[in-house]
Amino acid sequence: MIEAITALGSVFFDPYLLFLIFATTIIGIVIGVLPGLGATTGAALLLPFTLTMSPVHAIAVLATIYVSATFAGSITAILINTPGTSAAAATTFDGFPLAQRGQAGRALGIAVMSSTFGGVASVIVLCFAAPLLARVAYEFRPPEYFALTIFGLSMLASISAGGAVKNLIGGVFGVWLSTIGAERVTAIERFMFGNYELYEGLGFVPVMIGLFAMSELLVQSKIANQAVEFVKMKAVQLPSREDYKKIWKTVLRSSGIGTFIGILPAEGATVASMIGYSEAKRWSKNKEEFGKGSIEGIAGAEAANNAATGGAMVPTMVLGIPGSGTTAIILVGLMVHGLRPGPYLFTEQVYSVYQIFGSMLAANIMFLLMGLYAARLFARISLIPISLLWPIVFALSVIGAYALNSSLLDIWIVLIFGVIGFFARRFGFAVAPIAVGLILGKMVEVNLQNSLKIFHGEWWQIFTQPLAVFFLILAFLGLCGPAIFAWIVKDRKA
Amino acid sequence: MSIKSQIPTIFLTLISLVIIYLALQLKLSPPMIVGDSMQPRAFPIFLMVLNLILTAVLAIQIYRNPPKEPAPILRITWLTMVLMVLFYALTVSIDMFVGISVVMFLMSLVWGQRNILVALANAILTPFFVFLLFDMVLRIRFPRGLITNWYYG
Repeated sequence: MIEAITALGSVFFDPYLLFLIFATTIIGIVIGVLPGLGATTGAALLLPFTLTMSPVHAIAVLATIYVSATFAGSITAILINTPGTSAAAATTFDGFPLAQRGQAGRALGIAVMSSTFGGVASVIVLCFAAPLLARVAYEFRPPEYFALTIFGLSMLASISAGGAVKNLIGGVFGVWLSTIGAERVTAIERFMFGNYELYEGLGFVPVMIGLFAMSELLVQSKIANQAVEFVKMKAVQLPSREDYKKIWKTVLRSSGIGTFIGILPAEGATVASMIGYSEAKRWSKNKEEFGKGSIEGIAGAEAANNAATGGAMVPTMVLGIPGSGTTAIILVGLMVHGLRPGPYLFTEQVYSVYQIFGSMLAANIMFLLMGLYAARLFARISLIPISLLWPIVFALSVIGAYALNSSLLDIWIVLIFGVIGFFARRFGFAVAPIAVGLILGKMVEVNLQNSLKIFHGEWWQIFTQPLAVFFLILAFLGLCGPAIFAWIVKDRKA
Repeated sequence: MSIKSQIPTIFLTLISLVIIYLALQLKLSPPMIVGDSMQPRAFPIFLMVLNLILTAVLAIQIYRNPPKEPAPILRITWLTMVLMVLFYALTVSIDMFVGISVVMFLMSLVWGQRNILVALANAILTPFFVFLLFDMVLRIRFPRGLITNWYYG
């Protein structure tokens, strides 16, 4: 406990780390306000830049991008009715109408304060929940891990974009991608087509850059000449005492909702903000104001989406199961830097883990200051012509992908997965399930193999393990629950 | 229902069948190595069978509720894809940074940038600074080519 508190506090006395967090917060906000460039794309682009950093500094950079870009999406959501990130989509419902009424500064002030509260609350929960979950996870053996990854994959069905079936197909395709390369036990080459650079499998980093950054580039080409309406704003206003009285319950509720949604494997800030917004509306005494500039609507969405960032780090670090697209990249970052995600991280690397949590706390404070004093400036960045911005993204993508392994094959992978991601999205398939599937794929196969060895090839013995059964039931409910529920409701109505 | 709306399911079915075929061509490992575990081909085949089942469900969903046909892909998007191929060709044949600069410049113009000087400055300065950052700070060696040969000596 003392080690954890010391590590948390040490962040605030480490000038280099503070500088990194400060610089990354600026980059994160810039990324967040640029439509199309969300936290996930930003983290994918920045990952290669962290190669020479220490593991703590590298993950702190990625976590800061996650936190600050998630918040910054609200700036453009309020000022130009274009959410900088998908997590800020719900903020446009009331943020832009309030801005059009000449209260853009007030809308941004509410968004900044709610986001900070949600973010800080979720990091505090993270500090307490992660070690507790790690204690439970110590008991996990391969059958439990196998069931847990199946649960994680089943939760892909509810990732926001695309339908459940499409998301599952994407997830299965991602798991298949993880089988490319030499098989772990027998060293038999699978789907390598004689290319020995693929011996250890597809690199996570180029696939992520391709799926998130390069496919987004192709998607953005459709709106290359679109003009935006910009709402003028004098300065960001701190919420008044009346505003606080009106929103405090919403902020508390949405922080709880966001943290909980974030903890669920494969759920993220977008889902959290939508639920946070709808719950704010459901509990509000002024429902008629929603959609017309309700400050409760802004607070509900913003507290929830930033709370989800801390929540999503819990399964990522404790179980090695990413809670969102961005945490999938943070997970890759952990692996690239030699930190093995899982419960043992909390015994072997306690100090580093709490320094990462402390960095997230510091990032929340930094974006509070920048949100209050520089939001207007950041908002103007969103007016950079995309005919200049996206070629820069192209350059960063290909150089970043090459940098990790100095391999030209990785550039091919970026380009190919960019095109795959573009066509997938065109037909309504989200790319995040493919990325999560790729990351979890090895875990599924290895734990299935180990379970089979433990049970002497009798796979059904997995169902004799209570925890494994618990996760498999959750997976079943996650997949079939909505259909069963709809059927029951229909039956009752009939 | 038009056949066009079933393009994704047809494509997914074909891909799954091709992968199953390729998996069946994989070598079998001796039982003493595999032990109680499974053959390397088993897991990919299981995944693709699962994919075929999910694709069948998707085909039924599309049949019952056909989705809105996506808008045709714009010329600008096709041109961007062509530029990606051009980038790779230039990287392999001339130099990675020549490829990046040329493609960045052309991409800016294709995407509607009218000021050629701005596009040119962006195409030259961005790769230059990114190169310096990766070379000096991150110590990354880039592939040999026209410019890198001159720089590395």
